[in-house]
Amino acid sequence: MDMERLLVAVDTSSASLRAVEYVAEFLRGDGGRYVELVHVSRRPDRDLFPDDAAWEARLAEQEAEAEHFLALARDILVERGMRDERVVPRSLCIREATVSETILDLVREGGFGTLVVGKRGVSKTEEFLYGSVSSAVVHGVADCCVWVVG
Amino acid sequence: MGPNQAPVEVDVSESARSIIQAHLPDFPTLRCGSIREDTSQFMDIGYGDVVPLAGRHYLVLKDEMERRFGLEDPKYWVKRCKVLETGERRILKLVFYERFPVRLGGMEIPCHRSPRKESRILELVRGDARFMQGVTELDGAGNEVRILEIVQGRRLDLAVHAVDLDHETYFRERFPELARLYVGACRALAFLHSHDERHGDVRRDHIFVESGSGAWRWIDFDYTFDFRERPFSLDVFGLGHILLYLAGKGDLTRESMAELGLPAGRVADIGAGDGLLLFPHRVANLRKLYPYIPEDFNRVLMHFSQSSNVSYDTVEELLDDLLPCLERMRAS
Repeated sequence: MDMERLLVAVDTSSASLRAVEYVAEFLRGDGGRYVELVHVSRRPDRDLFPDDAAWEARLAEQEAEAEHFLALARDILVERGMRDERVVPRSLCIREATVSETILDLVREGGFGTLVVGKRGVSKTEEFLYGSVSSAVVHGVADCCVWVVG
Repeated sequence: MGPNQAPVEVDVSESARSIIQAHLPDFPTLRCGSIREDTSQFMDIGYGDVVPLAGRHYLVLKDEMERRFGLEDPKYWVKRCKVLETGERRILKLVFYERFPVRLGGMEIPCHRSPRKESRILELVRGDARFMQGVTELDGAGNEVRILEIVQGRRLDLAVHAVDLDHETYFRERFPELARLYVGACRALAFLHSHDERHGDVRRDHIFVESGSGAWRWIDFDYTFDFRERPFSLDVFGLGHILLYLAGKGDLTRESMAELGLPAGRVADIGAGDGLLLFPHRVANLRKLYPYIPEDFNRVLMHFSQSSNVSYDTVEELLDDLLPCLERMRAS
């Protein structure tokens, strides 16, 4: 567990933006930490689209949204004093695993000491149907501190 | 053809008449329709039309109807047919991609109708008697048409409704066998999940009880939702809903409880937490209404309730809790 390494797992939501803002404020003046900004998304389900063209369009849109968000998040951290070379953005588009499983794998593989995720308020029904990445990572993480920014 | 001449209309009804009367000489001539090589415009395909697929010709008899809650809803993309060459009856499901909202637990969720998903599952379950059978063939325009064998039998909900017994007798004498068959249906869905597939519309009228054998068979796999973090949750919830239906011999709602003449005290004791998570007006806490329902079995049912903080993520989790309860019920 490397306390100098933080993994900030984001999507394009306002909850993720709040998480980035929180990290930026918390680490202000501590520019030496390593922060990996990772956007994890699942490939759109091909079954939801009438044809390949529609699916490819959505995939391209999703990738563009991720890139835009990562650039915004990176700027926030650098503007608050993080060293440019210590903020590393990364976009992952996964096929089979869940987002939470992928984040936990990244924590393990990267030896991160801290994982940061955003959390939005969801109803019981919504959590039942859509799941909660923040809840899943809190339950599944080991040897790492988790910051859940609500 | 010159620039000022009207295009000649090709009479395709003649070709349909020939092929229909070659196999069905008594078919009314005036009802012979057209050969429909392209099924894209399924609303235009009706009685008397013929759809050629993979060397066979399917005479359309009617649009399929969905019957629920006393209403009939036409499914224009689903045609009941007769195979001219063999006389067999088949159902053709034509290509229709649709996205529509479904209300679940007070939320509006986008649901997608996906022909390609159903085609893939039909391929996966080929030869497996726990599922409806069919193949996918291309029409003349490249549309993937699903050709389904008709399941001879009755919907599960109708089969249960037809049991003419009071609830306690039903629960003690009939439910154990229904529960055994239910476990088989659960394992069938677990098979789909193990191949990263979901049924997508698990409900009691999507299980058919086959005539003669009494075996259960799943139908209709074309719905899908975008629940990527909990891909099997809705299927598992659907199984819980079916279990409640079987154990309760129907849905227990305010209206049905009044009709059943249940003791007023028991009905009054039903609170918000006793309702189903996604259908709050249906009672999950059956033991409050039927005190002879074992407590351990009722705890399984309550996993699907508003008051539960723990839900089953997989069919295996459900069966891990359910099977010991059923065993104890059989032994008692």
